[in-house]
Amino acid sequence: MGIWEAFLNWLRSLFFKQEMELSLIGLQNAGKTSLVNVIATGGYSEDMIPTVGFNMKKVTKGNVTIKLWDLGGQPRFRSMWERYCRAVSAIVYVVDVADHDNLSISRSELHDLLSKPSLSGIPLLVLGNKIDKPGALQKQTFTDEMGLKSITDREVCCFMISCKNSTNIDTVIDWLVKHSKSKN
Amino acid sequence: MPVRTNKSIGSGHAALGALVVLRRALARAAVHKVFLNHIRPIRLRLAVHPTLILNIPLKRSLPFNFSPIAEFYLFIYLLIIIFLTFFSIPPIPLELTLAESRQFRPSLPSLPPTPTSQSSLSGRGSPRSTMAQPFVKKDDDRDEEEEYSPFLGIEKGAVLQEARVFNDPQLDARRCSQVITKLLYLLNQGETFTKIEATEVFFAVTKLFQSKDTGLRRMVYLMIKELSPCADEVIIVTSSLMKDMNSKTDMYRANAIRVLCRITDGTLLTQIERYLKQAIVDKNPVVASAALVSGIHLLQTSPEIVKRWSNEVQEAVQSRAALVQFHALALLHQIRQNDRLAVSKLVTSLTRGTVRSPLAQCLLIRYTSQVIRESNVNNQTGDRPFFDFLEACLRHKAEMVIFEAARAITELSGVTSRELTPAITVLQLFLSSSKPVLRFAAVRTLNKVAMTHPLAVTNCNIDMESLISDQNRSIATLAITTLLKTGNESSVDRLMKQITSFMSDIADEFKVVVVDAIRSLCLKFPLKYRSLMNFLSNILREEGGFEYKKAIVDSIVILIRDIPDAKERPKTSDPGKYIRYIYNRVILENATVRAAAVSTLAKFGSMVDSLKVRDRATLYLDALDGENSIDKSEEDVKEFLFGSLDIPLINLETSLRNYEASEEPFNIASVPREVKSQPLVEKKAQGKKPTGLGAPAAGPTPVVDAYEKLLSSIPEFLTFGKLFKSSAPVELTEAETEYSVNVVKHIYDGHIVFQYNCTNTIPEQMLENVTVFVDASEAEEFTEIASKPLRSLPYDSPGQTFVAFEKPAGVPAVGKFSNLLKFIVKEVDPATGEAEEEGVEDEYQLEDLEIVAADYMLKVGVSNFRNAWESMGEDNERVDEYGLGVRENLAEAVNAVISILGMQPCEGTEVVPSNSRSHTCLLSGVFIDNVRVLVRLSFGIDGPKQVAMKLAVRSDDMSVSDTIHDIVANN
Repeated sequence: MGIWEAFLNWLRSLFFKQEMELSLIGLQNAGKTSLVNVIATGGYSEDMIPTVGFNMKKVTKGNVTIKLWDLGGQPRFRSMWERYCRAVSAIVYVVDVADHDNLSISRSELHDLLSKPSLSGIPLLVLGNKIDKPGALQKQTFTDEMGLKSITDREVCCFMISCKNSTNIDTVIDWLVKHSKSKN
Repeated sequence: MPVRTNKSIGSGHAALGALVVLRRALARAAVHKVFLNHIRPIRLRLAVHPTLILNIPLKRSLPFNFSPIAEFYLFIYLLIIIFLTFFSIPPIPLELTLAESRQFRPSLPSLPPTPTSQSSLSGRGSPRSTMAQPFVKKDDDRDEEEEYSPFLGIEKGAVLQEARVFNDPQLDARRCSQVITKLLYLLNQGETFTKIEATEVFFAVTKLFQSKDTGLRRMVYLMIKELSPCADEVIIVTSSLMKDMNSKTDMYRANAIRVLCRITDGTLLTQIERYLKQAIVDKNPVVASAALVSGIHLLQTSPEIVKRWSNEVQEAVQSRAALVQFHALALLHQIRQNDRLAVSKLVTSLTRGTVRSPLAQCLLIRYTSQVIRESNVNNQTGDRPFFDFLEACLRHKAEMVIFEAARAITELSGVTSRELTPAITVLQLFLSSSKPVLRFAAVRTLNKVAMTHPLAVTNCNIDMESLISDQNRSIATLAITTLLKTGNESSVDRLMKQITSFMSDIADEFKVVVVDAIRSLCLKFPLKYRSLMNFLSNILREEGGFEYKKAIVDSIVILIRDIPDAKERPKTSDPGKYIRYIYNRVILENATVRAAAVSTLAKFGSMVDSLKVRDRATLYLDALDGENSIDKSEEDVKEFLFGSLDIPLINLETSLRNYEASEEPFNIASVPREVKSQPLVEKKAQGKKPTGLGAPAAGPTPVVDAYEKLLSSIPEFLTFGKLFKSSAPVELTEAETEYSVNVVKHIYDGHIVFQYNCTNTIPEQMLENVTVFVDASEAEEFTEIASKPLRSLPYDSPGQTFVAFEKPAGVPAVGKFSNLLKFIVKEVDPATGEAEEEGVEDEYQLEDLEIVAADYMLKVGVSNFRNAWESMGEDNERVDEYGLGVRENLAEAVNAVISILGMQPCEGTEVVPSNSRSHTCLLSGVFIDNVRVLVRLSFGIDGPKQVAMKLAVRSDDMSVSDTIHDIVANN
C-alpha cells in the first residue's frame, strides 16, 4: 500500500507541482542553515560554519518545490536581505529564543525590513528556534518581545521549533505548503 | 519519417485502443501541454517526430526503432493516459496547472522588441531566433553585411530591461545566457554602468545560481568577474562560489576558483587556502590551471599566503598537462623572483630535466636569459653558462621555442658572431615560412640584430628582399628597414622608392622605425642625403602622431648637424620651404616637437644668407616667445638649448655684438624686449653649434640686411634717413604671365620707395630700360621725386626698378597707386643668344598698389602684455566702441581688425575659440616715428551675428592713439 501511495504521490507531483520561493533570514547563529538542512534532508549537525553570502537550495515536499534563499545573518549582509526578499512567497524569519541579548536587535532588524515598500504584503513566518535549550522563551513572551502583534499589513504566523530535535518542523512545512497553494 | 498507415493500424487491438485514447488526449491540447512541459524528454522526441504520435506502427517499430529509454518513457506516457482516463481528474487543480504551465513560456511576446532585432536585423526574426542561429542569418545577409555582429547597435537601457528575466520565478536559462552575453558585450565595448545599474544587475545575476544549467553558470561567473562591484556587495556570492569550488563538476570548480580569487580578501583567502592548495594538484588540468593563475594574481595582494603553496606548485610543474606546467612555472618563478639564487637553481634544475610544454619551455628560456644577464658580471671570461641549453632549444620541434631561443641568443649582451650564427640561421629559415607570424617575428628580431651586428644579418638579405613585397605591411616595413641598415649604397635609391609607396599604409610605430633607419642610413652614406632629406621633409607634411613627428624633426636636426653637405642645403636650395614645414610643426605639435623645431629654426636663422628665410625664422621665434600659451614649451626650449651646453660667455657677447651691428635699428632703438628675444635666437643658434661642429667662436657671420644694403647703394635714396619698415613682397601680376612683378614697400619717415622686382619669363625676349609708371592721382599726399629704371632685364634673371615718393614726415599717409610697366622689347636669337639692335617700346598693365595704415606699423610683440600695458599708463589711452556689422563668426572679425592694424597679436589671443560669444585680443606694435602702441580689443557677437568691438589704445603719443582709432574708423 505504501508503495502504491508513494507512486500516486509521485504521479500527482507530476501534475500538481507547485513552486514557491522563500527567503530565510535572521541574525547570525539563529539556525537558518540548520533549518534548511532539516527541511531538506532531516539531518542535523552541531558543527556549522557561518554562511558567507547566501545558499540556494531547492527542496521538494510532496508536490511543492520550495526554493530556499538561505541568507547570511552577519551585519554586513543585512542590508542585502531586502534584495532577496522581493517577490518571494513568504519571508521566514528565524530567531534564537535562547539568546536573550540579541532579541531586541532581532526585533529591530525585522521591523526595519518589513518597512521596505517592496516587501509589503508578503506573508511572514517567524520561527522561534532552539526551544530545546534551557532558558528558551515561551511563545507568548516571544511574540510580545518581537512585537509581532503590531504587524498588521500582512499575514504573520509564529511557531516555536527546534531544529535539533525536529520539533514542529512538520508544522512549518505544512504552513509553507499551504501558502504555496494559496499563492498560486 | 514516411507515413505508413495501412499495415500498422490493424496490428493490435490494445495498441489501437491506446492510440484512440492518445488522440483524444491530444485533442485536449491543454492536457498535452502539461505533459510536454513535465516530461521533457518525451516532448523532445515527440516534437521531432510527430508521426510517432499520430501514425505509430507500434508493433513493428517498438522492438527495433525505440531505444530502451524511449520505450520506458512511452510506457509511462501510456500509464498516465490510463490514469487520466480512469481516475477522473478534479477540474480545479487542472486549471491551476494550466495557469502554471503558461508560466513555462516566459512572457516573450510581451517584452519590448530589442534594438537588435529592430536596427540590425531589418526586423527579421525575434532576437531569440537570431541568436540561436547566427550562422543561418549570416548566410542570408552575406551580400549586404559581410562581417556583422549580432549585437551591433544594442542599447544599454534595453538590455538592462531585458535583464529583468533574471528575476523570473521560472528561469529560462537560454534567454538569461543571451542577456548576459549582451551585457558582457556592452561592457567590452566600453559601455559603463552606473553604480546603481551595476548593483541591480549584480544582484539579479546572483539569483541565477539557482539554475543548474552549466552554460548559464559559466556566464554568471563571467558576469560577476566583469562587474566585480564593491567589496561589501560582492561578498554575497562567496558561499555559493565555495560550494561550486567543491562541486563535482570540474567546470564549476575551475571557474569558481577564478572568480573567488578575484573577489576575495585576505581573511577569506585563509579560509579557502586549503581548497586552493588541493586544486593546484588536482588531476583535472583546467582546475589546476585555474588555481595556478589565481595564485599569480593573488601574489600581488597576498604574497605571504601564496608563497606557502610552493610545494604544491612545484608538484604542478611536473604535471603532464602542458598548460598546467606553463602556469606552474610562471607562478613558481614569480614566487622566487626576488631571490636570485633560487631562480638560478630553478633554471638549473629545469634545463636539465624535460619540460614538455612548449609554452613553459619559452618561459624557461626567458628565465634562463635573465639568469645569464645577471651572472654575466662575475663571469666575464670563459663560456657563457646555459648557452648550450639555448642552442639545444634551437633544435626543438616547436617553432615558438626555436624562435624564443633565437631571440634570447641575439639579445645576449656582448654576443659574439660565433654565438649568433646558429640563431641567425634558424631565423633565416623562418623568413621563408608560410606563416606570417613567423616571418614577422624573424624579421623583427633580425631588424634589431642589424643595429648592432649588421654583418651577421647580411646573409639573410636575399630572403628579406623577397619580403619587401610581402602582403603584410609590417613585415615589409621591417624587411626594408633591415635592408637599409645592412644594404650598400647602390641599393638605397631603389629601397627608398619602395618605402615611399607604402608609407601611408603603415602604422605610426613602424613609421618611426623607418625614420630611424633612414637617419642611420643617412649618417652611413652622407652622399645620399639629398634623397633622404627630401623623403624626410615630405613625410613631415603627412598626417602622423606626436612620436612620429618628433622622430622626423629629431632626425632632420641630427642630419643637419652631422652632415656638412646637408647643412649647406638651406643655403643652396629653397630654405623657405623647410622653414615653413618646421614652423607648421611649431604651431601644431606639442612641446617637445616645438623644442626641436625651434632649435632647427634658430639654426636656419643663423646659417642662412637669404634674408627672407632669416626674417621669417626670427619672426617665428618672436611669435613663439610672445605666446603665453606655450610658456611651458619655451621652458623646454631653453632647457633643451642650455641644459646640456655650456656656452662661454665671451662667445655669447661677441655674437651679440655682431648681431646688434647688423640688425635692423628698430630692434634696438624702439623695443628693448625685442633685443632680448633676438639674442635668444642667437643664443640658440650659438648653443647648438658647438655640439655638432665645434663652430667658430665668433659666432655666425653677420648677415647684413639686404634691403637696407640695396637701398643705401642708390644715391638718390641716401637722404631719406633710416629705413623704418619693408613690407613683404606684394604680387602685381598673375602667376605664369609673361612678366612677373612684385613690389616691396619701403617706408621711411618722410618717403616711400617702391621696389619692383621684375622677372622676364620669355626666353626669346630681352627687356631694356624697364620702368614703372606710377599714377598717384589717388594718393594725394604723395609726390613722386625719383625713379630708377632697370637698364636691362634678360630672360629669367630678376632685376629691380625703384620709384620714390615724398610724403609728409611722420604722417601715416595712405593712398592707391596704379602701375604701368614700360620697357623696350628686343628679340633674342635663340641660337646665338644675341639681342637684336632694334627694339620696340611696349607696356604692360600691372595691378594697383596700396599704402595702408598697417604699412606704418611694425609687428613687434611683447612677452608680457599686462606689464607693458600697465607701465604704459593711462595718459595716452583712448577708448571707443565700434560696430563691425554682420560677420560670419568672431574669428573672422578678429582677423580682419588685426590685418587692418598690422600689429602683432600677443599671448596667442588671435586664436578665437570656436563658438565663443566674446573675445579679447591683445596687439602690440611700433608705429612710424618709433612710437610704441598697445591695443586691447574686446569683441562681442550677438544673435544675428552683429559684431561689436571696444578698442582701447595706449601709446607713447596721444596723436598716435587717435590715429589708430582713425584707422579702424575709416575701415
